[in-house]
Amino acid sequence: MEKKEQVFSKHMTGKKTRDHLDSFNNLLKQMMAPDAAKKGPLDGLNVIELGSANFPGLICGAMLGEMGAHVIKIEPQGGDPAREATYSGIYLNGAGIPFVMESRNKCLVTADIEEAAGLEKIISLASKSDIVIDAMQPGYLDFHGAGYRSMCELNPGLIYAALSPYGHFTSKAKEARNIPDTDLTAQAESGYPALTGSPEAPEPYNFPLRAGIWTAAYTSAAVAVAGILTALLFRIKTGRGQMVDVATYDALSTWQPFSLVWGFTNEEPRKRIGNFDWCLFPYGYYKAKDGYVTVAASSDSDFRGLLKILGRWDLEDDWRFLFDRIADDPEKLNELEREIKKEIAKFTRKELFDKTFAYGAKAARDKLRSKGFPMVVETRTPQEAAADKHWEIRRSFVDIEAQGAGIITLPALPPRMSETPTRINRLMTALGADNDYIWKDRK
Amino acid sequence: MPQDYFDYTGKLFDAARINEKPEALENIKVLDLTRVIFGPMVGKWLAIFGAEVIKVEQPEEGDDWRTGTYWGKYWKDSCPYFQSLNPNKYFIAIDLKKERGKELVKELAKQADVVIENFRAGLIEAWGLGYTAISKINPRIIYISCSGYGQYGPLRYFPSYDLIAQSMSGVARLTGYSEDNTYKLPDYFGDFFPAILGAVGVLSALYHRNKTGKGQYIDMTQTEALMRAMPHWTVQSADGDPPGPSGNFDPTMSPSGIFKTRDERFVAVAVATAEQFKALCKAMGSDELATVPEFAETKDRLKKVNADVLNKRVEEWIENHDELEIIAAARQHGFAASPVMDDWRLVSDRWRKERGSVIDFEDPMYGRGTWAGPAAALSETPGRIKQLTRPIGYHNRLILKERLGLTEKKIQLLEKEGVIGYWDNRVGKRPPSYIDIAKDSLFNFKREEEE
Repeated sequence: MEKKEQVFSKHMTGKKTRDHLDSFNNLLKQMMAPDAAKKGPLDGLNVIELGSANFPGLICGAMLGEMGAHVIKIEPQGGDPAREATYSGIYLNGAGIPFVMESRNKCLVTADIEEAAGLEKIISLASKSDIVIDAMQPGYLDFHGAGYRSMCELNPGLIYAALSPYGHFTSKAKEARNIPDTDLTAQAESGYPALTGSPEAPEPYNFPLRAGIWTAAYTSAAVAVAGILTALLFRIKTGRGQMVDVATYDALSTWQPFSLVWGFTNEEPRKRIGNFDWCLFPYGYYKAKDGYVTVAASSDSDFRGLLKILGRWDLEDDWRFLFDRIADDPEKLNELEREIKKEIAKFTRKELFDKTFAYGAKAARDKLRSKGFPMVVETRTPQEAAADKHWEIRRSFVDIEAQGAGIITLPALPPRMSETPTRINRLMTALGADNDYIWKDRK
Repeated sequence: MPQDYFDYTGKLFDAARINEKPEALENIKVLDLTRVIFGPMVGKWLAIFGAEVIKVEQPEEGDDWRTGTYWGKYWKDSCPYFQSLNPNKYFIAIDLKKERGKELVKELAKQADVVIENFRAGLIEAWGLGYTAISKINPRIIYISCSGYGQYGPLRYFPSYDLIAQSMSGVARLTGYSEDNTYKLPDYFGDFFPAILGAVGVLSALYHRNKTGKGQYIDMTQTEALMRAMPHWTVQSADGDPPGPSGNFDPTMSPSGIFKTRDERFVAVAVATAEQFKALCKAMGSDELATVPEFAETKDRLKKVNADVLNKRVEEWIENHDELEIIAAARQHGFAASPVMDDWRLVSDRWRKERGSVIDFEDPMYGRGTWAGPAAALSETPGRIKQLTRPIGYHNRLILKERLGLTEKKIQLLEKEGVIGYWDNRVGKRPPSYIDIAKDSLFNFKREEEE
């Protein structure tokens, strides 16, 4: 008998419901358990990936590989320069960490498109493939006779996905085709750093601020994968392939469109407002006695709950409604922010967590739900995050032998799929590691 | 002379021809039981590429985002952010807590290919509309649950928002200049990025179902999606120091940063390879820099002490030039430099309009507006906006009559019992004030035989 789990809804109480939820939980554990008989959703699809210092292209290939496609990454004899980028000075067989991370499940081969023999190999592979990832400079493959316009003649069902900063069409794409892709410049062109940072800090700490992970590169890659799969579903019906074009310098601002909405409705840009949010308050990081907590208590009822927990009901009258708590005047916001900060600092992280969750659990079972559910959790470091037993049970991280470089940890690709699990089953890093296997039948 | 490549692609992706072309997901029916951002965005991808997406809301309450808006500003009595999350969908309102309401949802689920939900984990199972119930009546269903931490494991009942997911994954501690001063990823990245991976899950499951006839259950989480984009554990397993907050310096690129120009603009520059570094040096008129032993190779350039020297050089160069000069030099020489765009520059950007990433769209109910287009351009089956959102319950008659064959009498009975319903009169939920809803033929939809 497990200890009775805490639920946060009155709909999830009662013996019958609890029993059903427990059996559902066990069913899921079985459904999602590793099963060698199950194949990935894209099993049987052949992909070739060509790219030069283009991480969205690498990530796109990795994701298709995790979903079971057979992905061949083709590099020139000197290697893809993407290998050069790394963290902490680490190289495994000449591959930096980002390249290693995104080589999961791939075959690595070499062929020089600028030599006749290499070009022939590439065209012959592409003509038999389902998907080509072109992460070279726009027009480069076309110039060598291996672009979409020649490949779609040879292989009408081909899905040709291009990833480049400004895309493969429009006048700007042509003028700026020489500009390489990096996550930082893609974030900037998507207007993302303009939303982060504190304008009142001293220079240069008041500048627009980059996101600390590759928000633009990963979004571009996932958008490309979604585009490829959409094209694949059309091909099933018609047999026709097509070209999928992703501009890594706008995928983030297009997929995550609130900047565009703000621009259209206000006809001016937002100003950076530090740790505030434009439509929720409180919604940010605060310093407790022994470290940082994250507070999300922005609905009016959540906010009332937070005030009760912090013993500050006196603030309720002036800040009752969300529209009292969000304003274009940071000075006004700071009045309330200072009070909340002061109260949070009086408690340890655990005290705050325990208090708010005890309150939330009780309030959630309340008939009217009007007592709210203020959330206060520890702001975890990546190390603290991964240590949670939850991820072990879900196998969210995979340890795998990287060819000749020891055991490497990789975060697995969600989603969990009951019939077609995503998987990581190999990790090659050395240049041309699979040449013998892939090219053996090709002179 | 072969045709210029960009003339060829210009024709291939010609915006003027988008509406003549087919839609890839035309035959796919989606039942969308979602709200806020994460769930709705999964359905948005499908709707933009032609799926029929029926969004079910709770009468009167509706999706929380209808009333949540930046600084409390609305657009024609609606929340413009909500518009951007839910285009091309049908809006019906059924009380999921009533038995008869559940039955209606099940009837719709029988006809659906995909169900999307993002209630707190376990809640929809408890209501009897979860995967176990729906897969019994429709074994081919692809059912995706979107949650903070997943539907199984000890954290499963723990509530989540974008920011909580950022905290539970460790992303929260990475943006900023020091551990003591970190910022959240803005505009709900913890919802949008998981949503695109959720769409990937649904699309790949549809592909699999086409081959095998089998549907499946998909458990999509915010936290695992954020983790997939983090190098920290990989670095650690290779005995390295995982990167902490490093301001505008990307620790994999040197030099890299965001710099102020002479004309008081901001420009991002990042150099990933030795070749790009040579190009930057040429642009700065400092060819000799590229041959200095500490800088020639990327692995040496990445050392903090060398990166600092180079960033200083770039900073000095940029503060003596205007934004346009830097961007022109980047194009000419082939290194990465971008203006730091902002909301207004994005929405008025000529390139984005030409590309179709920003669309001027005329809606019958809301008139002209500028919205985000599809994030990927597809040459044969381009995505498109066909309409904006509609008030709560607007399509009740259309969907219940056309999809479930209900009569007008039946519908009026359901209205009386409160099983189906409409908007309450709050801004964000009601139709725009200039619309006479009594005369709206779609809202009052009649089948031919009723005319």
